[in-house]
Amino acid sequence: MSLLALLGVLSSTIFSGTSLLYATLGEVVTERSGTVNLGLEGVLLISAATGYGVTVSTGNPFLGVLAAMLAGGLSNLVFGYLVITRKANQLASGLAVLFFGYGLSALIGKPFVGKLINSLPRYMIPGPGELPLRYTSLFKFDFLIYLVIPMTFFIWWLLYRTRWGLGLRAVGENAETAYASGRNPGMIKFQALFVGGLLAGLGAAHLSIAFTMNWAEYMTGGRGFIAIALVIFSKWHPIRAIAGVLVFSGAVAFQLLLQVSGVNVSPFLLDMIPFILTLTVLLIWGGTRKHSAPATLGRVYQGTE
Amino acid sequence: MKRLFRILTILIVAVLAISACAPQATPTAAPEAPVQPTAVPATEVPPTEVPPTEVPTEEPPCLIVGATYGGPIMDAGYNQAMHEAVVAIQENISCVEIIEAENVYDEAGATTTIENMISQGAKMIFATAYAHQYPALDLAQKYPDVIFEHVGGWEMSGNFANIFGKPPDVWYMMGVAAGMMTETNKLGFVAAFPLAWTDVFVNAYTLGAQSVNPDVQVIVAYTFGWGDSAKEAETTNSLINQEVDVISMHVDSPQTVISTAESRGVYSIGYQNLAAQQFAPEYWITGQGFTLGDKFTWLASTVIDETWEPIFLRCGLADGCMAIAPFGPKVPQEVVDKVSQVEADLESGKIVTFAGPIKDQNGEIKIKEGEVLTDDAMSNVDWFVQGVVGSPK
Amino acid sequence: MSQRIESLPVKSILHHKFFQHAVRYGLTILLALLLFAGILLITGNKPIPSYRDLFSATFGSAYGFSEVIVAMIPILLTALAVALPSRIGMINVGGEGQLYLGAIFATFAALAFKDLPGWLVLPIMGLLGILGGALWAFLPAFFRSIGLVNETITTLLMNMIAPKIAGLLVFGYWHSPRETNMTPNFVDAARLPTFFGTRIHLGIVFGLVLLVLFWFVMKKTRWGLEMRSIGGNVQAARRNGIPIAPYMIIVFCISGGIAGLAGMAQVSGFYGLLIPNFSPGYGYMGFLISWLAGGDPLGILLMAFVVSIILTGGNMLQITIGLPYAVINLLLAFTLFVVLAKPVLPKLLKRKTA
Repeated sequence: MSLLALLGVLSSTIFSGTSLLYATLGEVVTERSGTVNLGLEGVLLISAATGYGVTVSTGNPFLGVLAAMLAGGLSNLVFGYLVITRKANQLASGLAVLFFGYGLSALIGKPFVGKLINSLPRYMIPGPGELPLRYTSLFKFDFLIYLVIPMTFFIWWLLYRTRWGLGLRAVGENAETAYASGRNPGMIKFQALFVGGLLAGLGAAHLSIAFTMNWAEYMTGGRGFIAIALVIFSKWHPIRAIAGVLVFSGAVAFQLLLQVSGVNVSPFLLDMIPFILTLTVLLIWGGTRKHSAPATLGRVYQGTE
Repeated sequence: MKRLFRILTILIVAVLAISACAPQATPTAAPEAPVQPTAVPATEVPPTEVPPTEVPTEEPPCLIVGATYGGPIMDAGYNQAMHEAVVAIQENISCVEIIEAENVYDEAGATTTIENMISQGAKMIFATAYAHQYPALDLAQKYPDVIFEHVGGWEMSGNFANIFGKPPDVWYMMGVAAGMMTETNKLGFVAAFPLAWTDVFVNAYTLGAQSVNPDVQVIVAYTFGWGDSAKEAETTNSLINQEVDVISMHVDSPQTVISTAESRGVYSIGYQNLAAQQFAPEYWITGQGFTLGDKFTWLASTVIDETWEPIFLRCGLADGCMAIAPFGPKVPQEVVDKVSQVEADLESGKIVTFAGPIKDQNGEIKIKEGEVLTDDAMSNVDWFVQGVVGSPK
Repeated sequence: MSQRIESLPVKSILHHKFFQHAVRYGLTILLALLLFAGILLITGNKPIPSYRDLFSATFGSAYGFSEVIVAMIPILLTALAVALPSRIGMINVGGEGQLYLGAIFATFAALAFKDLPGWLVLPIMGLLGILGGALWAFLPAFFRSIGLVNETITTLLMNMIAPKIAGLLVFGYWHSPRETNMTPNFVDAARLPTFFGTRIHLGIVFGLVLLVLFWFVMKKTRWGLEMRSIGGNVQAARRNGIPIAPYMIIVFCISGGIAGLAGMAQVSGFYGLLIPNFSPGYGYMGFLISWLAGGDPLGILLMAFVVSIILTGGNMLQITIGLPYAVINLLLAFTLFVVLAKPVLPKLLKRKTA
């Protein structure tokens, strides 16, 4: 194994993990408020298509990122309308949003298939001096990558160190009590969904504008569902989500390293590992009764109107 | 009720509005002329009254051609190349009408789509995706008065024929260019599936590269999807991290692979469509694309004058069915000259791509001295030549 | 057998219920069509001719109609696989994974027993398909029954593993250089018989028979009564001596088996081969259908029919107005949104179980 190959696994993990981490953070925020959005995949698709489309038409990738965030936030509000305002079943509403995302993203993205974009500019990490381009290009990151770890800590701070976060988690644990103590559970859930949508939008923007630099139908390839699994893996905690994402993206990068080194291990076998791992930790925690899931996760808040 | 409508529509419109101006702002290559008399151009405000009766004012079309694609028709790759060839029929023979369906991923979907096209009056079907061959063949039996052309397959019947370019020879030329340009002696190849054709392309590419640079190695990695862009980006990066300095690919759309290579400062060689070049303004070597428009037009014209016959058609550079893209700015003249010399030698038969003896990765002789791999045998290749790293199956 | 006395003659209840269903679904679909018409207008298409294309592709010809029935088969079965455990308060989001396992097991039989006659190999495939789905459902049910972890999460995670197993087997063992991402075509003996020269296959009989059986068991047997009492109040059921854990495991395995049978029917009846990611979300669609129908057999049939029309008709819209096929998912989503948001005449149509 050359140094380049090993650094490469690291770089690939960072590049492909970024979008996943944003999406996972978004889902952590919404699930902390007691809402599970199974349609995250659909939200990601809508954001990725919108971000890509805006980047193509304006030529400005930063506007694309903004548009993707907005699209993610709005899509989550559609979901919120169903599960909060109309008190619909969360699982069914999530799946409805999934199909909504399949359809809407195909519609939004169609004019931009195969179009060239200005991808997000990349900046070299400070430190290494004169190296061949193959090396330096490993660590030239766009701002969304630089932002992702600070964002994780920011979300942690938001959830655990602010009144807003306290209220949000209180609603997730017990909406009735939160209501009794003067909070508005519906409004807080909406806010959590919107913030979660913005984060999902950031992830989707990174995927289409910075990473693949194209748009294709169903391009998220199940990343929304992976993010939902990672939320469980990280026990609904933003900082631990970093570990989950590293395991997942690292496995993919490592699998490709094996493949190009001529080692013949089925990629499908390696792709399964993160899910089996998540299942295992879930069983272990289940056994030790150390649940960290918000108590009312998935339950419809019937309201006290 | 009202609230539902208001909120839902506001949200939908808001999300759409973000991209709404775009279709007008960027002149997308016009989707071919309205397929149905009912379709209206996107800018026209749909009238509120009941649409007028559907009596077409013009002559009925002399032939309705249906075309199915395995991916999006604007992918700057294979599907776009096929789409352009089909559109060329109408450009050349104006009375032809075209019906198209993109993103027809699987066999079952192809059956439904082609059935629907025939119910819309299609008398000639171009099934352009690999997976559409058997559904089309079955339907050829069911509809003996419809002519079927499949692209890139091997089956033939009374009203079902096959057409394709001759990519292997061109891959050999691409290999020559790559073999001369590489400094690390490692070439990367991003492939969708371990597939006979892919193996053939990789082999031809490797043989071409070895003809000018015996030390060259070709590393193959699969994405297991014709259009999984995230996987393509990851795969390209991990190849580059193996010190590969030229990237080529056999996936539907070269966009992600070439964009990624360009961003890492690595050369790329395109396939499927000449449009791929736009994604690598700096590190482009060259590329090949399908230009089957004239042949498709000719086939359609034989259907119109009822002289169509099932021909197993394979046509290469010299027949105009394939084309080589302009060379990139970093390519020295000597490489350009060498490639055109190889082209001439392939044309004259001085070089034969798959002339024996050829050994596989394990050193086993696959093509004996004095023998040549036939077009027919190419559909069953499940081995890589020596010098390829990766699994052929 | 249940001794419950129905207060009205069965026939009149059916009529009444059917009428209720017809009104509810009719209005739902009308609203969804209106919303989708907005999308069509935005994209510069005329809604009325587009809808005419959509319906002529589904009701306009015998072939089109047969395609609707074909599309119904897998989602009918996966919806049943959700409806059954919902009666004891279990949520099966894992239809997708169970479908894959059923397809994988059936494919194994089809490829391994190439020389057996159809009357032998098809039952083997069916049984293996059921076994595959049931196995995939057993684990979540077992963990739930011992109170370890909620079945919603485990089934969801197992959905993500199942297609990868298919990929592993297809690319590792089952594919030849001529195939891209699929196994070789099954021999004719391993294909479910089709009817009337269309693609309608025996799977529709599986679906309808199981649907009737489901209705019968729930309404007319002691099992149905006990299951409903578990679904109503677990504590009370336990006090009444109903064995909860065995019920959970058995019912969940049966429902997994039904989803597995759907997978077997798809590979044997529809595709005639296995593609690693063949399902466009049949399991999830089944979940939605069962949910929309409130787990009611007749509702499942109607809703599966509606969804099939949407899925089948979308193909024609692509051909006639060039709308990407995936866009038809919007019409599906709008239908769901309308039901989820419960906007129409809430009093009249309120679900009893709500």
